[in-house]
Amino acid sequence: MAKSLGFQSSVIYQDPKAAMAWLEAAFGFDTALYIEGDDGSFIHCQMRYGDDLISVGQEWSDDYKSPLKLGGKNTQLTSIQIAGDVDTHCERARAAGAVILAEPETQFYGDRTYRCRDPEGHHWSIGQAVEEVSREEAQDRLGGGVKITGWL
Amino acid sequence: MKGYPSITPLIWYQDPVAALAWLERAFGFETRMVVDDGQGGVIHSEAVFGDSLVMVVGPPHGAAASPAGLTGRHTASVHLQLSDGLDAHCERARAAGAVIQREPATQPYGDRVYTCLDLEGHPWSIGQTIEELTAQQMAAATGRDIREKL
Repeated sequence: MAKSLGFQSSVIYQDPKAAMAWLEAAFGFDTALYIEGDDGSFIHCQMRYGDDLISVGQEWSDDYKSPLKLGGKNTQLTSIQIAGDVDTHCERARAAGAVILAEPETQFYGDRTYRCRDPEGHHWSIGQAVEEVSREEAQDRLGGGVKITGWL
Repeated sequence: MKGYPSITPLIWYQDPVAALAWLERAFGFETRMVVDDGQGGVIHSEAVFGDSLVMVVGPPHGAAASPAGLTGRHTASVHLQLSDGLDAHCERARAAGAVIQREPATQPYGDRVYTCLDLEGHPWSIGQTIEELTAQQMAAATGRDIREKL
C-alpha cells in the first residue's frame, strides 16, 4: 500500500501575489517556494506553517475560482493548528484585515479556536490545544442528538 | 488537539457519509472519527491516509458549498503525496468512479502526477516523487525563475 507523505491544500486566489503577502502578514506563513515567469507573472507558490505547506493557487481554469467570483462561497476551509497563543494570533489577523467570523472560544473537544475570512473570502479556522478531553467528557458536553464514533 | 498536523483541509460535501465511504474505496483513506448530527449530517470527521488527515463535513450551510451545488466550480483543491504506487492508486480511484482529468504523467519537476474529480466534483491531485530535484535543477528543467523568497 502506498504510504502518504501528506495532504496539501491549494487555495485559489484572483490575486495570488497579494494573497502571499497577506498570508504572511496575517497568519505568519513563510514562502517555501515561488515560481514566476520572466514577465513577473505568478506561476506557483507554496507557503509553510509549522511542518506543513499550502499552495497559493490561481484561477487557472473556469472551474477553479476565488470565492470573490462565487458570491463568497467556499468548497473547502483550511484549518491551522498553532503552538502559540490563539488570541494573539486572532488579533494579528484582525489587524491585517481578516474578518473574524467567530471570536476565540474554547470548544468542547479542548481546543481554543477562531474562524475568519480572508480578503478574497476564503474561510480559515485556527486552533490551539488548551485542554485534554476524553470522548465521554466531549459527548457529555455536547449533550443529546449528537453521536461521536472514534476518538483520539 | 495534540498530535494534529499544522494544516488540515476541511472539505464540504452534500452527503458527507457517502463521501467518507467513497474516499475509503477510491483513495484508501480510513475514517477514524465521525461526529454526526443525528440527521444524516456530519459536524466533524477525520479521514486518515498514513499520518495525513482531512476533515469531511456537511451538508454545507452559510458560505460553505459543495462543487455539486456550484455547477462544478471550487475554491480549493487537495494534493496528496504518495511514497509509491501512483499508477495503481489512479486505477483504484478510476474503478471507484473518480473522473480522471489528467492521466498519470511524469512532470519536469521530477514528480509523477494524476488529477481527478471526486463524487461531488472536488478536485484532487495525487503525486509521487520519481526524481529529487533542487530548486536550481527545477528551474533548468522548466525554464522558469524559481526562488525561495518573494
